[in-house]
Amino acid sequence: MAAAPYLLPILLLLLRPAATLTGHAPPPSHPPPPPPPPPTQKIRVWPKPASISWPSSVYAPLSPSFSIRASPSHPSLRHAIAFYTRLIKSERHLPLVPPSNYTLSLVPIRLLALSVSDLHIPLGPGVDESYTLSVAANSPSADISAATPWGAIRALETFSQLALAGVGPAAGGQPMSFPILLPSVPNLANAGAYSPAMRYTVEDVRRIVRYAEAFGIRVIPEVDMPGHTGSWAGAYPEIVTCAGKFWAPAGKPALASEPCTGQLNPLNPKTYRVVQDVLRDLAAAFPDPYLHAGADEVNTACWEDDPVVRRFLKDGGTHDRLLELFVNATRPFLVHELNRTSVYWEDVLLGPKVSVRHEVLPRDTTVLQTWNNGADNTKRLVSAGYRVVVSSASYYYLDCGHGGWLGNDSRYDKQEKEQEGTPLFNDPGGTGGSWCAPFKTWQRIYDYDILHGLTEDEATLVLGGEVALWSEQSDAAVLDGRLWPRASAAAETLWSGNKGASGRKRYANATGRLNEWRYRMVGRGIRAEPLQPLWCPLHPRMCNLAQ
Amino acid sequence: MARLHHQLLLFVLALSSPAPLLLPARADASSFPVNVWPKPVSMSWAEPHAAVPVSPSFHILVVSRPENPYLTSAADRYTRLLLQERYRPIVRPAVNLTATTTLEKLVVAVSEPGAPLQHGVDESYTLEIPLTGGAATLRAATAWGAMRGMETFSQLAWRGMSAVAVVAAGVRVEDRPLYPHRGLMLDTGRTFFPVGDILRTVDAMAGNKMNVFHWHITDSQSFPIELPSEPELAAKGAYGEDMRYTVEDVTRVVEFAMSRGVRVVPEIDSPGRPLILCFDGYSIALHLIRPNAMYLHGPAGAYPDAVTCAGKFWLPDGDWNNRLAAEPGAGQLNPLSPKTYKIISNVINDLTSLFPDNLYHAGADEVAPGCWETDPSIKANLANGGTLSQLLERYVRATHPMVTSKNRTAVYWEDVLLDAAVNVSASAIPPATTILQTWNNGSNNTKLVVRAGYRAIVSSASFYYLDCGHGDFLGNDSVYDDPNSDFDARGGSWCGPYKTWQRVYDYDIAYGLTEEEATLVIGGEVAMWTEQVDAGVLDGRVWPRAAAMAEALWSGNRDAAGRKRYAEATDRLFDWRQRMVGRGVRAEPIQPLWCRTRPGMCNAVQ
Repeated sequence: MAAAPYLLPILLLLLRPAATLTGHAPPPSHPPPPPPPPPTQKIRVWPKPASISWPSSVYAPLSPSFSIRASPSHPSLRHAIAFYTRLIKSERHLPLVPPSNYTLSLVPIRLLALSVSDLHIPLGPGVDESYTLSVAANSPSADISAATPWGAIRALETFSQLALAGVGPAAGGQPMSFPILLPSVPNLANAGAYSPAMRYTVEDVRRIVRYAEAFGIRVIPEVDMPGHTGSWAGAYPEIVTCAGKFWAPAGKPALASEPCTGQLNPLNPKTYRVVQDVLRDLAAAFPDPYLHAGADEVNTACWEDDPVVRRFLKDGGTHDRLLELFVNATRPFLVHELNRTSVYWEDVLLGPKVSVRHEVLPRDTTVLQTWNNGADNTKRLVSAGYRVVVSSASYYYLDCGHGGWLGNDSRYDKQEKEQEGTPLFNDPGGTGGSWCAPFKTWQRIYDYDILHGLTEDEATLVLGGEVALWSEQSDAAVLDGRLWPRASAAAETLWSGNKGASGRKRYANATGRLNEWRYRMVGRGIRAEPLQPLWCPLHPRMCNLAQ
Repeated sequence: MARLHHQLLLFVLALSSPAPLLLPARADASSFPVNVWPKPVSMSWAEPHAAVPVSPSFHILVVSRPENPYLTSAADRYTRLLLQERYRPIVRPAVNLTATTTLEKLVVAVSEPGAPLQHGVDESYTLEIPLTGGAATLRAATAWGAMRGMETFSQLAWRGMSAVAVVAAGVRVEDRPLYPHRGLMLDTGRTFFPVGDILRTVDAMAGNKMNVFHWHITDSQSFPIELPSEPELAAKGAYGEDMRYTVEDVTRVVEFAMSRGVRVVPEIDSPGRPLILCFDGYSIALHLIRPNAMYLHGPAGAYPDAVTCAGKFWLPDGDWNNRLAAEPGAGQLNPLSPKTYKIISNVINDLTSLFPDNLYHAGADEVAPGCWETDPSIKANLANGGTLSQLLERYVRATHPMVTSKNRTAVYWEDVLLDAAVNVSASAIPPATTILQTWNNGSNNTKLVVRAGYRAIVSSASFYYLDCGHGDFLGNDSVYDDPNSDFDARGGSWCGPYKTWQRVYDYDIAYGLTEEEATLVIGGEVAMWTEQVDAGVLDGRVWPRAAAMAEALWSGNRDAAGRKRYAEATDRLFDWRQRMVGRGVRAEPIQPLWCRTRPGMCNAVQ
């Protein structure tokens, strides 16, 4: 866009340490000390740092010979330094509203020096990600200090977002397919992937894990079971019940929560041989200490489709017992043989039809991921003593509100306004076919307090949250817009919170910053969707609901 | 103007069309191994289904004279597409490949090659691809019908296991549209879309046999079109220097669309949306320009004195009744200012010379009383017994003739007649020269419009608004910060829920009308308002949902038995979306891939 000789002014600022987010600690509940009065210019970093100070509007040019230095070296950090050096030198982000009335420092920034106190801390749950970044006036170098390489990587991202371009007077593993090729059980992917071209090889997985690590991102694999395993039936039909059936037979209980039926049979010994192979291969491919074993939406009718299961039930067995058999035959292997913390969806404990007893899930090696009933289910899990990852569907499910995807659905075929008193479907207030409508806007995500209603003690068990993109109606063509910038909204809330220093929700203040960050992401090649017409960021506050 | 087929009429036509020669009649039967979207009115494919390879020297030959340059360029384009497209169906078509012969050419014969592209033009065609290969034939009354036929032809080709394309053989298609107006409205006033994105969209429209690109060029937020007589409008009203459509850009869009049989209907919304941006420091809005309506909605940057309430906060005291605009970006043209009419006259002159189409959309939606009431001259007028409706009528009576004097039919949003607070009398908008576009209250408002004798374009928000159900864009809105506001709320969108392709597909735009009334419905438009859409996500928001309307308006949404065919359409749309992605349109998926390979398994009811 900007053709002019490229000045890359850098905001001069001093960043005090960000919140130290330790393993189980939620964002600090005590507000940080009040910041000094802000200068007229805004520093827009997303997610907003826990603490930032910029006494006056001074920018420094970025020297063409700018470099980042760290010693001694660390493999992921080396990769991150190369990435950010390239990014900072090539990115040309024009702020939506160009800064004015600023001072330009005479001394260009030539060097960003990193110091890390312990280079040997591995990337894992609860790792220290705090950092201090300072860019002093009239000094050719800026400094980052961090406890771990992972905090230093966060600081590099912050630094990259401080760079502005061209300032001047110019205007402004689910049921449907099994796509991972596991060495011990290659037939799962050979028979369960959509096509040979749609498989992740061991080499692909390694590439993703390495790439993620270089950005301080852990990769937690999930292979959902015993439900959602229709895709296993191609290779191992004998261990899957009710596979290949129509999901919602007329006049009978549904065999699955959505099309593609199939559930692992807990009474077949072969089930466990296959599952162990799968888990062993996953643990070998993914170094993270967490391994997600699914266990959501177990369907009783699907199990009952199998004669052996029916006999078991007739002889006094229960569905709960079946699930316990499955968990007891798989979890100890995962925990003791593979040395992993097991992660399950909340259903394993809270499932309305099928669940296991607490004894089956020792708290020290189990993390539960919540998705129903918002903060209520989080409370139920932490009050039972479990660590929790929050993915409440009514806030964090990015697929919601996009209609339904089932074929032959006559509910859309209504020409007239729905009668008062009848359930809404197509009219405003109706779901339009989406079970978890409405669409979760970035504000809805941003405003979610994942600790809502918890005691201070309970809150320490909440590890954080995850936005979730279920992909019935997404593929590569639309992925970016479905994820971004809504995932960014969660990112800030979980990094530095969603409240300002006064303790009030800061969604209004976040709007302009998120606009800016969204445009920067687009410049970086992410097809994020826009929040507002461009007119809005150009006319601050004029697009508010309340001025 | 346009003779409209009622759906029932079409049904009768389909049944009474002569049985295809030599071929077992399978017209209107269920899906074929390879399908065309929108589904043709009548298609037969000899059984057992066969295909022939496309010769490496394949070409499309237009034999009609005089030469129509648009048709020639379309023939070249489809020749290239046939040879280059790499579409491979997800489910391999069960057809016999004839290896002994190839398809050498498609011969196109047009009876009136000079017929101009305009509303109601004959788009029918007949396509025959012989079982034995050699030469296929396409006959049409006009170049535009021939383009529809070439599109059909291109969709009957695919890549098999071999490297060359094959095309269905033993096929006969007789096809014509149900409605003459099958459009997409794109709002480039709230968000600027680069010309390339507009061209890609128009190209995709042609693939869906849609024929009207309703270009909602300006709105309150920006005025991105450079008009030779009023250059200040874009100079002060565009988002930026690089976010304007020049005269060359517009010509390029119009020509590009023409070579695809797509008309471009301009709209500069007015007076509700000022001509000029509500721009900092200028705060002058000409509320009078919507290129397809009489009003100019747009920023007030250039002409503050012709625009009321520009630059003000849209919802001053939080009370909707006192709003200055329906959404942020306030400003309306002042009907009492003589300057208003000078500007509008220039705008209409410029637009009618840039856009050859005989429809001119003059906007006129969402006039906000509060905005006009901020102006002292209007206040005085009202104090002396004047009404807001009289103001609007004054504006319309002055500007409607400007449009008709250019030999254009004026299109307005329904509001001009149906708005409860501000509207005009029917005498100000003669039905002979006026078309109304409906958007509220579903088929009820369509009925109101046609009963008043107007031709209607249907864009009912609860079916055809593609932006709905996506939350809202307003800042500082505490509604989301309520742990209990979820299932019982609208998630911020005024017109939620999201309109799925099924919802779009199932809409009967002539619902509840008498046969006579139905003849006044000239068609429909899906509408893409762009508060939360820009080039990065445009394709996925428009496609394949616009394709759902395209079929419903081309050949209807019912099967030969008169039953809605949404179930049967699912797999066909899945395939068409796949082909569109291959053609470079980032359409969103309608189902997981799993569903396509297990017919019926992803249905709600088996």
